[in-house]
Amino acid sequence: MSARGSVEVGQELPELVKHPTPRQLVQYAGAQGDFYEIHYDQEYARSVGLPGVILHGLLKAGFLGQLVTDWLGDRGKLITFEVTYRGVDEPGHPYRCRGRVTNVDGDDVELEVWGEDEAGKRTTVGSANVQLDR
Amino acid sequence: MTTTDTVVDRLRARIGVDGSAVTAPIEAGHVRRFVEAIGDPNPRWQKETPPTFLVALAPASSHLAEAEEYGKGWLNGGNRFEYLAPVLIGDVITATGHVADVYEKEGSSGNLLFIIFETEYTNQRGDLVARLRGTLIRR
Repeated sequence: MSARGSVEVGQELPELVKHPTPRQLVQYAGAQGDFYEIHYDQEYARSVGLPGVILHGLLKAGFLGQLVTDWLGDRGKLITFEVTYRGVDEPGHPYRCRGRVTNVDGDDVELEVWGEDEAGKRTTVGSANVQLDR
Repeated sequence: MTTTDTVVDRLRARIGVDGSAVTAPIEAGHVRRFVEAIGDPNPRWQKETPPTFLVALAPASSHLAEAEEYGKGWLNGGNRFEYLAPVLIGDVITATGHVADVYEKEGSSGNLLFIIFETEYTNQRGDLVARLRGTLIRR
C-alpha cells in the first residue's frame, strides 16, 4: 500500500504523553542554550508573575515535533511546522500531545496538532504540512 | 516621549536589518543531548536533526537586550518552521536573523510588546535549508 493510501482526513495521530520534570527543564535549557530563569528558578518565575517555573515553549514544540515525526516515520517529509503558545505549563503534570489529519490533497497532508494540560486545556496549538513519498 | 515609545521606536528602527550571522557545525553530541532532553529516542536523529533543533544552533539571539526596558518578562508567542532541505549531522549551518515586525497590543493586564523575528539557515553549500519565524512577547 502506498503511504497516501493509509492517510485520511480525520485520522488521529497516536497520542504522546510526556511527564516533564524540573530536571528535564534544566536538561532542555542546556541543550537549547536558553537559560532564561523562568524555566528553573521558582523565585524568579514568581517575581515576573508566573505560578512557578514553566516549560519552555520550544520544549512543548519539541514534543509536538516528535508526535508528528513518530506518526510520519519514513513515509514522507515535513514541509512546515508551526506552534502557538496559548498557556503556561508547569513541570510535575502530564502533558498530552495530540493531532489529527485535517486535509489530504494528493501527496500533501495537513495536520492539526496540540498539547493539552491535565484539565484538557489546549495550551499549545499548531499545524504541520507533510509531503508523502510517492 | 515616554520610555515605552522610545523602546518601541528603537526596535522598529531595526526592522529588516540583518543581525550578525552565526555559523556552527551540527554536532552529533549536541543533537543527542537535545533529543534526550525532549525524550525523543528516534534513531533517525543519529543522522539528521529533529524538527526544532535549529533553535539550539544560535544563542537565544531573539532575547533582544534593549527590549528588556519594556515590561518585566519574556514570553514565547509561537514559532513557525519551514523546511527546504534536510539538515544532517556534519553540516555547517549559518543562521542570519532580523526583526521582521514590532508592535504593541493591549492585553488583559497591561500592554504587550510583540517582536517578530525571522531567521534563515543555509548550509555549507549555500543552500537555504530552513526558515524560522518566532513571536516574542514582552509583558
